[in-house]
Amino acid sequence: MLKTKSKAYWLFLAPALIGLLCVVIVPMLLGLFYSFTDWNGLFFTKSVGFSNYVAAFRDSGFLNAFWFTVKYAIAVIIAVNIIGLGLALLVTQKIKGANALRTIFFMPNLIGGLILGFIWQFIFVRVFAAIGTALHIGALTGWLSNPQTGFWGLVILTIWQMSGYIMLIYIAYLEAIPREIIEAAEIDGTSPWQRFRYITFPMVAPAFTVSLFLTLSNGFKVYDQNLSLTNGGPYLSTQMLSMNIVRTAFTNNKLAYGEAKAIIFFLVVAAISLLQVYFSRKREENLS
Amino acid sequence: MKQVRQFLAIIMLSIVSIVLLSACGSNNNESSGKGVTINILQGKVENNTQFKQIAAQYEKSHPNIKVIITSVGGGSDYLGTLKTRMSAGDEPTIFSVAGPSEVSQFRTKIADVSDTKAAKLALPDTLDAVKEGKKILGLPFNLEGYGFVYNKEVFKKAGIDANQLKTYDQLLAAVKKLNAQKEKLGIKGVFSLPGQESWVMTNHLGNVFIAPDFNGNVKTAYTSKTLPLTRAKEYKRMLDLEANYSVGNVMQTDYSQQVSQYFGLHQVAMIQQGDWIYQTVAQIDPKFAKNGIGMIPIPVDGYAGKMPVGVPNYWAVNSTRPKKEQQAAKDFLDWLYTTDQGKKDVVDLLHFVPAYKGFEGMKMQDPLSESVFQHTQAKTTTGWVFNGYPVSWEADTLGPDVQKYLSKVMTWNELVTDAKQAWANLQSTK
Repeated sequence: MLKTKSKAYWLFLAPALIGLLCVVIVPMLLGLFYSFTDWNGLFFTKSVGFSNYVAAFRDSGFLNAFWFTVKYAIAVIIAVNIIGLGLALLVTQKIKGANALRTIFFMPNLIGGLILGFIWQFIFVRVFAAIGTALHIGALTGWLSNPQTGFWGLVILTIWQMSGYIMLIYIAYLEAIPREIIEAAEIDGTSPWQRFRYITFPMVAPAFTVSLFLTLSNGFKVYDQNLSLTNGGPYLSTQMLSMNIVRTAFTNNKLAYGEAKAIIFFLVVAAISLLQVYFSRKREENLS
Repeated sequence: MKQVRQFLAIIMLSIVSIVLLSACGSNNNESSGKGVTINILQGKVENNTQFKQIAAQYEKSHPNIKVIITSVGGGSDYLGTLKTRMSAGDEPTIFSVAGPSEVSQFRTKIADVSDTKAAKLALPDTLDAVKEGKKILGLPFNLEGYGFVYNKEVFKKAGIDANQLKTYDQLLAAVKKLNAQKEKLGIKGVFSLPGQESWVMTNHLGNVFIAPDFNGNVKTAYTSKTLPLTRAKEYKRMLDLEANYSVGNVMQTDYSQQVSQYFGLHQVAMIQQGDWIYQTVAQIDPKFAKNGIGMIPIPVDGYAGKMPVGVPNYWAVNSTRPKKEQQAAKDFLDWLYTTDQGKKDVVDLLHFVPAYKGFEGMKMQDPLSESVFQHTQAKTTTGWVFNGYPVSWEADTLGPDVQKYLSKVMTWNELVTDAKQAWANLQSTK
């Protein structure tokens, strides 16, 4: 057993610690420092106090991106978890080809976000339009050309990508439920819904913690899908936080300002995630 | 206490070893003996191979000089790389800058190049963006121009002479004529306007109508506190024309659809683009690209037959490098743009439209470049001011606003007010 006192303990930990220090902690502190200056990527001339942060909260582009991201994250969390759990329930039934279905549902997750975005852009813009024109369904034409379809396009893409992954987590928990409990409940004459509500559901509750955390943080951090599907358009209405930050820093070349936005972004995501994990843990404890 | 000290010792040891390891990798810059090494960092990846060929040639005829070309592409990536290399101390001798705003960002690192031959031979106006009193802070890469790129065969079938379309009314009549015989001509629309690419409508189309406010001078635009936008009506008229007679859903169209699909596959009569689309069209239909396309200027009242031609990038020489290296860099640029061999490479290898005197009588490699070159030679050009727009004005204001206008969620008057106001705000806080 390694003790914190022993040299070996720290020696084995050193590579990871140094890595963390070099690529996370130091850049983060530097970034925090730069966000209080007028840094332009090369040098800074003065400290500007909190003015970058104040400007961020007055920046309508940033606030719009913020709300858009929040709306998107909520839609994604709900949809991905329901569909993920649904798929998991489906493939854990005794149906033919359950294993093949698992693979198929998981597959979209193996494709990179950028490519997924381009695939779905093709589907929304060309395939939808072709079907819409052929069947005279107006709702299918003009996708991604207005804010609403841009929003739902992004949500659909994310559901398609994430559901399979979340499904795997639910499967792991579903399969861990002892058969005898279910059987006992069957003998007691419960309906399938009752079994789901009172046995399955509480027993996969820990999976919710993991899945909600994953979908939430992923929902907030989306960039590549956003870039390739809508690129923030039309008129920046589907621009998410990450994209707004990248553009501020690298397109508009306000690096210190972008840094300040990134710090705000980090704090918000960290706060939401920690709160969410805290409450979910508490719930689990109450259940057990 | 002991374990803390041990912990610190281990951390320190590891840091030292990391520093030592990384130092091994980067100390080979300065060790080239007597010769001089010129490091060039530039953003035109599409010309990477050609630049390397040119560098190899130059090294052959100048044995003491080593030229290393690094190309980083994709808009924002280039500036990021340049900044990283500068902060890491691995500074290039020559780098490229796009306009007044980039010049001012790197001002402390840019040397005066007014003593070069190339600077003296540069065409009038091409140095506007990089002049600072008597100093010249950059040398133009090349010239680019844009207008309406049209399908010659479609125009011929419809009985329209593209070169006669010098005013808006003439253009309108031609557009109506083309639209009326769409089926006969085998086209789906007259134009293709890429609503997703705001730069086509703001930087390019907008420039045509904003440039007259600033006499076509990019520096004037860059320093102007206000945006007069006196030609807002004309701007709207042209945008409306392109949008109304465009194929498909404008707000769903992007650059590649406009150029490759609609124009490349002969589905539209013309598109508003520049000479840079040649390679893309040639990949789809080489014969069509070589013989079937031409370019005419966008008609503007009072500027009939004039094409907006400008310099997309400038070479800047790094003033923080040793004097010897700076001189070698200037010699290289002079060689490239003023010697016979260099000039031949500029035109034949790089396919550049030259921004310098001394290229008279040379033939450009493709019809679109040739058209830009002809306009330059005949001095029927106007300037590019969009590199002098306030930083982020296009990205955050005019671009989204034009898209809102096309989506009918903003009126043109609102757009004009918003654009002027944002311009004034950005310029006052610069």
